[in-house]
Amino acid sequence: MSAMTVDATLTNAALAAVATVDDPEIPGVSIVDLGLLETITTTDDGRVTIGLIPTFSGCPALAMIASDVEAAVVGVQGVEAVTVNWLAAPVWNIERVTNKARKTMATDLTVAVRIGDGPTPCPRCGTPTVEQSEFGPSRCRAVHRCESCREVIEVMRDR
Amino acid sequence: MTSMTPGTAEFLLAFADDEHLMGQQHTEWIGVAPFLEEDMAFASIAQDELSHAALLYAIVADNGQGSPPDDRAIDALAFDRSAADYRSAQIVEVACTGWAHALVRHWLYDTAEELRWSLVEDSGLEPLKDAAAHAAREERFHVRHADGLIDVLLQAPDSADRLADAVRDLLPLATGLFDPAPGEAEAIEAGIASAPFDTVLPEWTDRVRARFPDIDIGTISAPAFASRTQRHGDFPALLARMNRVRGLDPTAVW
Repeated sequence: MSAMTVDATLTNAALAAVATVDDPEIPGVSIVDLGLLETITTTDDGRVTIGLIPTFSGCPALAMIASDVEAAVVGVQGVEAVTVNWLAAPVWNIERVTNKARKTMATDLTVAVRIGDGPTPCPRCGTPTVEQSEFGPSRCRAVHRCESCREVIEVMRDR
Repeated sequence: MTSMTPGTAEFLLAFADDEHLMGQQHTEWIGVAPFLEEDMAFASIAQDELSHAALLYAIVADNGQGSPPDDRAIDALAFDRSAADYRSAQIVEVACTGWAHALVRHWLYDTAEELRWSLVEDSGLEPLKDAAAHAAREERFHVRHADGLIDVLLQAPDSADRLADAVRDLLPLATGLFDPAPGEAEAIEAGIASAPFDTVLPEWTDRVRARFPDIDIGTISAPAFASRTQRHGDFPALLARMNRVRGLDPTAVW
């Protein structure tokens, strides 16, 4: 039983460390809140294995995210070794982004999150935005414009 | 786990080489496309194609075992083979120096690619099935992007003429995509793909005709030459460009 307790504590500590890692292209937003963390397992002798999923398979930040996660978890007390794997399944989808991340992106970065097929409301004023380009500054973001407040809006999306 | 044979590896290499070279060709429009949104669109689409290639090369490199990808093994397959060992179709090897040709190739290729992934979406090879799930979602963006531009450009006589020339020039090479890859029969036998690629040629030709209704494209049929074992004349220069930076320091870690 004591081994179980140690294990759960270590898992929670490792999870907390992963949650401190921000997406390199979305500062202030944790990769956990973006839904990239899929699995985390620990062993009694302190080995942690973390499974992440990419938003898009060609995301150029994957190597950086993996090394950031490794660096964050390796410093946790009781951790002896860290392995970070990018998993082939499941496929990431926009519903994995938490409300907390949506709020931070809307407030601090003027980034909206597109869910479903309807128009995406402007994160500043709520007016439906108009798409300007399917392809934005990163693979997971399109460029929209708000006709009401005239703001250019980046929209995170999965399709 | 479905096992890989030399034949099925060749079959996957043909797919990987097409994705890789298409991605490389798209990257060459970054910074010189007609307007900023196209720089970004071609960058993003190239990124997807290169990542699909990496997923496919990774399957070949580790024999379909699904272990974490080995970047050096992927690069060795992508860059270090001799020209004769590539299995790409000539449509992804030809240099498209005009924007109309690049756009038409993008549409022709991605329309075929979407159909191609559907033939492996239920693959018995688990990593290939997973790759198909990623690719299917990403491919929808590509065709939609090309369609949006072509819709607009077909309205103007000058640009419609340029597109028509590009379609006529590129169709014979594009049909070479459906030229059976070495090992295809073996791959189907092993449950890696559900049917030969050329079974979707009629569907593809229907889509081409619907896309370009005013262009007389005559009959579309499978190519009379061995598209995948003969390199296009533009291939050596492409391979040299692809390897130019890498060649400066082959031991560098990227």
